[in-house]
Amino acid sequence: MFRLDQYAYNNRLQKVHPGEKVAFALVTLLIVLAAPRPLIAALVIVMMAGAATVIAGIPFRFYLKLMLVPFSFLAASATMIALTISHQPQAGLRGVTIWGWTLGVTPEGLYLAARVLLKSLGATACLYFLSLTTPVVDILAVLRRARVPALLLDLITLTYRFIFVLLATVNDTYTAQVSRLGYASLCSSYRSLGQLAASLFIKTYRRSQELFTALTARGYQEELVVLETVYPFSWTFLCLGALFDLFLFFLMLLT
Amino acid sequence: MAPLLEAVKLSFTYPDGTRALQNVTLSIPPGKKIAVLGPNGAGKSTLFLHFNGILRPQEGCIYFAGNRIDYSHKALINLRRQVGIVFQDPDSMLFSASVRQEISFGPLNLGLARDEVAQRVEAALVATGIADLRDKPTHFLSYGQKKRVAIASVLAMEPRVIIFDEPTAYLDPRSTREVMALLADISRQGKTIILSTHDVDIAYTWADYIYIMARGRVIGAGTPAEIFCDAALLETADLARPWLLEVYEDLKNKGWLPATAPVPQKKEELLGLIPYRSRSILAI
Repeated sequence: MFRLDQYAYNNRLQKVHPGEKVAFALVTLLIVLAAPRPLIAALVIVMMAGAATVIAGIPFRFYLKLMLVPFSFLAASATMIALTISHQPQAGLRGVTIWGWTLGVTPEGLYLAARVLLKSLGATACLYFLSLTTPVVDILAVLRRARVPALLLDLITLTYRFIFVLLATVNDTYTAQVSRLGYASLCSSYRSLGQLAASLFIKTYRRSQELFTALTARGYQEELVVLETVYPFSWTFLCLGALFDLFLFFLMLLT
Repeated sequence: MAPLLEAVKLSFTYPDGTRALQNVTLSIPPGKKIAVLGPNGAGKSTLFLHFNGILRPQEGCIYFAGNRIDYSHKALINLRRQVGIVFQDPDSMLFSASVRQEISFGPLNLGLARDEVAQRVEAALVATGIADLRDKPTHFLSYGQKKRVAIASVLAMEPRVIIFDEPTAYLDPRSTREVMALLADISRQGKTIILSTHDVDIAYTWADYIYIMARGRVIGAGTPAEIFCDAALLETADLARPWLLEVYEDLKNKGWLPATAPVPQKKEELLGLIPYRSRSILAI
């Protein structure tokens, strides 16, 4: 979580206009979702991985680890899709048969599983590209341009900021508990964890009160107005992205 | 000089029954450096929240530039334009993940044009020495850096009075020095500064005028020299004497300083007062 955020602020594509990155990621995402054949999804996975690691400079090992997170879930669900249990004989069904029930795979099932797996991974790769190269603050700026309601954006701003405050508080409280043997036994671990959660709730509430006071002191009036950073448009990125998406689009039409 | 901010017979009790302020009367002259000294729970922060219109007095009233504060929406906005508070914990002030956006929040609330705000943000970044942190996310900053962002965010609103609630709490010696130097800079621009602290050394050297608070009351007021000569007052307020004064008096009593030596305000002044000894005497 922290590392992902650090890379977002510190990668070779950080200076590219966030609107371009959002547009590129979203258009590619749409193509992946619309494309009927898994070939395009596979292509997107490779290209997005390349864009994130080679162009943006995210370490390959870290990228792989990130990809493994959804992959483990997807692998489990894809296996379930691939497997067929049937009482009737089916064309192309191979597997083990016990008491007239067959557990096995059909070519269609395998194809469907691969499609779902690749499509999901392709979509994930698009979003990973965006979140690895674009800080949340910049994504919010794009959303504001797109006229997303201010209330929602303010909520995202505060949530994002307070994830880090909350994590720091959890860390401090946990350390304070451990240093007094709060997690020495299973029983005390349960108790300590409960107290951690309770104190976290109280602290969060107090923090929100303090924040409101501090914001009011600076003239807060129902909206968190801030200055956006101005990024220059990068034609190279825009052209490359558009070319890639056009290529995918025609490939989708042809196949 | 007519006071810029004034509290008259102010009393405030929190819903849980804590009597935070009792009949507090004090005035802040324009352009001065005011320190409010007192132990934890003396009511300093509660007083400050009244100066900015966040808390309303239950008894008594607050005057700003001679006018009694009324609590209409417009009057409050005007008051907060003129009186800024830098809170003790910077994490409770910072809401945005971007340093630049954080600082732009206050000036934008004043209804300024975006160009003007951008200029003010830059100026505040430079004044607080964090121009290189401009594009850093706030959650990767150190405590001292966050403190500076919090100061810059108030500075960019260009208020006439800036209140610092324990600006040096939790800071290392170097950051403490730098923050105090920053306060001196701000003061030189003609701004009025109110600061709360328990650090008698800082208060003695820095302040033009000192108020001492304890248990919700103002129990002493005066110039640093007056305050720290009043042993009985210091005793009641649980405050020590500044080391500068202790050393000065001791040197004077033991004959190292002439009885007519002026009371030093700063360390350098004291060191300048101590005379050289000739080598022959040193050898004995």
